Amino acid sequence: MLGLTLGALPHFYYQPIWVAIIFLAMIGWRCMNIWRAWPLPSKRYKKQRWLQLSIAAFAVTLLLLHYGNLIGRDAGVALLTVMLGIKVTEIRSSRDFYLSSFLGYFLVVTNFFYSQSIGTAALMFVVVIIMTASLISLNDLTQSIHTKFKLKLAGKMLLQAVPLMILLFVLFPRIAGPLWGLPDDAYNAKTGIDDSMTLGKISQLIQSDEIAFRVEFADKIPTQSSLYWRGPVLWHTDGTTWTALDEKQYTANPPEIVSSGEIYRYSTTLEAHNNKWLFALDFPTQLPTDEKTHFTQDGQLRSDDNIKQRIQYQLSSQTQYTLNAGHDEFLQLALQLPENQHPRTQQLAQQWRQQTTHPHEIIELALNHFNQQDFYYTLSPTPLSGDTIDQFLFETRRGFCEHYAASFTVLMRAAGVPTRVVTGYQGGEINPINNVLVIRQRDAHAWTEVWIQGKGWIRIDPTAAVSKERIEQGMSMVMPLTMRSPLLIAQSQKLAELWQALRNNLDALDNKWNQWILAYGPKLQKEFLAKLGMSSPDWQKMVAWLVASISIVLLIISLFIFYRRKHHDPIARLYQTFCNRVALERGISEGPLDFANRLKQYYPDNAIEIDHITQLYINLHYGNQSASIEQLKQYVNRFKPQK
Amino acid sequence: MAQPLSQLYQRFKQLRGRRIFIIPTRFGLLYAAFLILILLGAINYSNSLGHVLAFLLGSLGLVAMLHTYRNLAKIELTQATTKPVFCGQAIIFSLVFDNQSHFDSYHIEISSKQETSKSWNPFRSLSGYLHPQQLSPLTAQHTTRFSYSLPSQQRGKYTLGKIRIASQFPLGLYSTWGYFPNNYAALVYPKPEGTLPLPDATAQGQKLNSQQQQGTDDFAGFNRYRTGDPIHAIAWKAMARDDVLRTKQFSTLQGGQLAINWQDVSQINNVEARLSQLCKWVLQAESSGMSYSLSLPNNSIPFGHGETHRHRCLTALALYE
Repeated sequence: MLGLTLGALPHFYYQPIWVAIIFLAMIGWRCMNIWRAWPLPSKRYKKQRWLQLSIAAFAVTLLLLHYGNLIGRDAGVALLTVMLGIKVTEIRSSRDFYLSSFLGYFLVVTNFFYSQSIGTAALMFVVVIIMTASLISLNDLTQSIHTKFKLKLAGKMLLQAVPLMILLFVLFPRIAGPLWGLPDDAYNAKTGIDDSMTLGKISQLIQSDEIAFRVEFADKIPTQSSLYWRGPVLWHTDGTTWTALDEKQYTANPPEIVSSGEIYRYSTTLEAHNNKWLFALDFPTQLPTDEKTHFTQDGQLRSDDNIKQRIQYQLSSQTQYTLNAGHDEFLQLALQLPENQHPRTQQLAQQWRQQTTHPHEIIELALNHFNQQDFYYTLSPTPLSGDTIDQFLFETRRGFCEHYAASFTVLMRAAGVPTRVVTGYQGGEINPINNVLVIRQRDAHAWTEVWIQGKGWIRIDPTAAVSKERIEQGMSMVMPLTMRSPLLIAQSQKLAELWQALRNNLDALDNKWNQWILAYGPKLQKEFLAKLGMSSPDWQKMVAWLVASISIVLLIISLFIFYRRKHHDPIARLYQTFCNRVALERGISEGPLDFANRLKQYYPDNAIEIDHITQLYINLHYGNQSASIEQLKQYVNRFKPQK
Repeated sequence: MAQPLSQLYQRFKQLRGRRIFIIPTRFGLLYAAFLILILLGAINYSNSLGHVLAFLLGSLGLVAMLHTYRNLAKIELTQATTKPVFCGQAIIFSLVFDNQSHFDSYHIEISSKQETSKSWNPFRSLSGYLHPQQLSPLTAQHTTRFSYSLPSQQRGKYTLGKIRIASQFPLGLYSTWGYFPNNYAALVYPKPEGTLPLPDATAQGQKLNSQQQQGTDDFAGFNRYRTGDPIHAIAWKAMARDDVLRTKQFSTLQGGQLAINWQDVSQINNVEARLSQLCKWVLQAESSGMSYSLSLPNNSIPFGHGETHRHRCLTALALYE
């Protein structure tokens, strides 16, 4: 029962509160039955039976109201939780007990839909141990075995099962899922950047500590200020919201990229975000081979399917490049502005336009404007309303990267320079433990690209004009301590540093876990087995290896189980302890009584104790049950030879 | 060629010891079904930890098999003793089990089947074991005495037949069992009952007056020593007088003599009821201190008294056919 509760515990986090309440109430009912003999629902107790049935009906109705169905993932798990709770109140026969135990295992599995962290795995082990112990308890018909022993036995069995589990995990031929259709809610929307942008949206993301992706560079890590991870490119604006092009439009032709400079090779582990884009350092030299992907006209690396699981891909990038230098089919779209909006912005742009027609100089003017006027980079910008661009540029002047990117784009377009907004992540934090660059949601960023004849799309980051630190040192340097660690810890610099170190370690561990345990699928299995020396692994070979190795390990385990040399006699052990404390050595054929006589001559002061111990040992060892081991233990522990 | 091979096989048999059978129980099969379900779910969702759990539980199932097997593997039935009982009382076999392994065994079910005839159906030998009783624990490398009680339903020899030990410990996913064929048997006396009074002792006794009545209570004189006479009855003082070995003769004072005859119960029709009546008389005669004899159509037991004599008479009744 404890196992069930523990197994259900993580679910309470994802499910409506009343699911937890009903579950705990049912468990409580059962406990009261055990401790206080409250009646349980049965044929004899009609009232309780009705109560239980009505609770069940009530729960199903609530579920239907809440989820609209009972077969989706969330609804199914909630149903399982509630029904298992209700089942607990009517466990009578051993059949019921087995059934609920097995359903309990199932409940543990459903946990994994939501979280596959190390903690969840550890919880799983604890739950399985407790469930196993309760199965032992069920088979202990007379309840004569101590609970501690049951837990120990369960733990032992599990420990013996672990090597087999590892073999199965490594060698069991993996099949790429899904086998059948998944319910619609199988993958939840995750936090992360979107393919649309409104002012104030990205600044919500910086509250999130969640990891977006991790990058492991093969040799050299580029400088912080060149770590631009391209995500969705936004073209169209209606004055407040920026959106991407229609997918069909921009996937038609690949972009024209000429890159040069140092080649950085890296492997990215991307968390599932249920969207199609992959993040890459501007600009990859070719498509990754691990996934089915393509380049869009505006330079995005996109997967053919939504990223529903954590994936890993290898890329190499060069940070100096020209993009679509000759021509771009969507140039007109990069000049689009909503009609009759942003009058003050338009006016400013026209003013610049009159000064010069050279795009370079217009850009220069805009950046200088941001730099020299009193613009501030802030993580909590003033909320805007009405004509947001005008308001920001001429009134509040306190903004986050998206404010600068959006208003810069509007200025450029008004001045006749084709410009677009690029969203993605900038920077990241190197974990010193494993040298992996960790990019969190708070590293989300928005910048712009300007098209200049002959040079193509050039990256302009207006945020850099306002806050150099953001780009050159990364987000975490800009953020105050209080935003990076829990409030309590942030009070002291030392604690905060400790916290950071701890987090780095945990994250390094988490990364290994993700890469090796959670990502272990058909592909990784083949790679890993090939590394182990299996030439061209296929499922027949895996099964052969599996059967062979499992047989060997089972043989070893059974040797372990059946043959034990060491004798675990507590009486003999205690006596041995006693013998070890004295200076004399007991002869091989010397009986305990003779030995005691010799000892008494040597330790005349301890004669009484020696007699006691010897007598107890003889009584215990030769079958006299009147003596107790406890007593012997006491005497032996108290025994101090005096000479 | 054949001989060394068969020798080898014999040695192998010795090494292997007793056969232990093991199959999954209903719940074991249910467990396996759940495992497959979990594995399918894990594959469907490409859930790595789902795989881990399915594999962990699968391995646990394998390990449980070894543990269940171990629970019985090294248990031997070394001794069985029993005492005769009257029909209707429980027969108690005192079984001594020796757990030779280094591990304690728990929750062993002991049952037995009398009928050992071979059947054309090999599965017949699996079923029909009655009177299950639980034994727990069997301490490692110790012998444990267990009182296995069985109801006695009819007089005669009760052969224990095959003893079956079985266990599902620890997880109940597997059932393991083994047999101890044996020929231990208990004697079941007839049930002492009946309403007829004890036959008239004196009337019977007078008929036998001419015979020598020997008892243990009153001194009745000397007899010359014959081989087989009890040593304690030798009259040593008398021997000191004239160097002739004599034995002292005693006679029983109390009840006199009683001859119990098959004919005495002829008015009872049922053979079992007759035997029950005779059994009751034997017990009555014994407790009243009489010397009594028993004559059955196929057997007759001369006069006597005491535990051994009683047992002889009751055995004759128990085994009467």
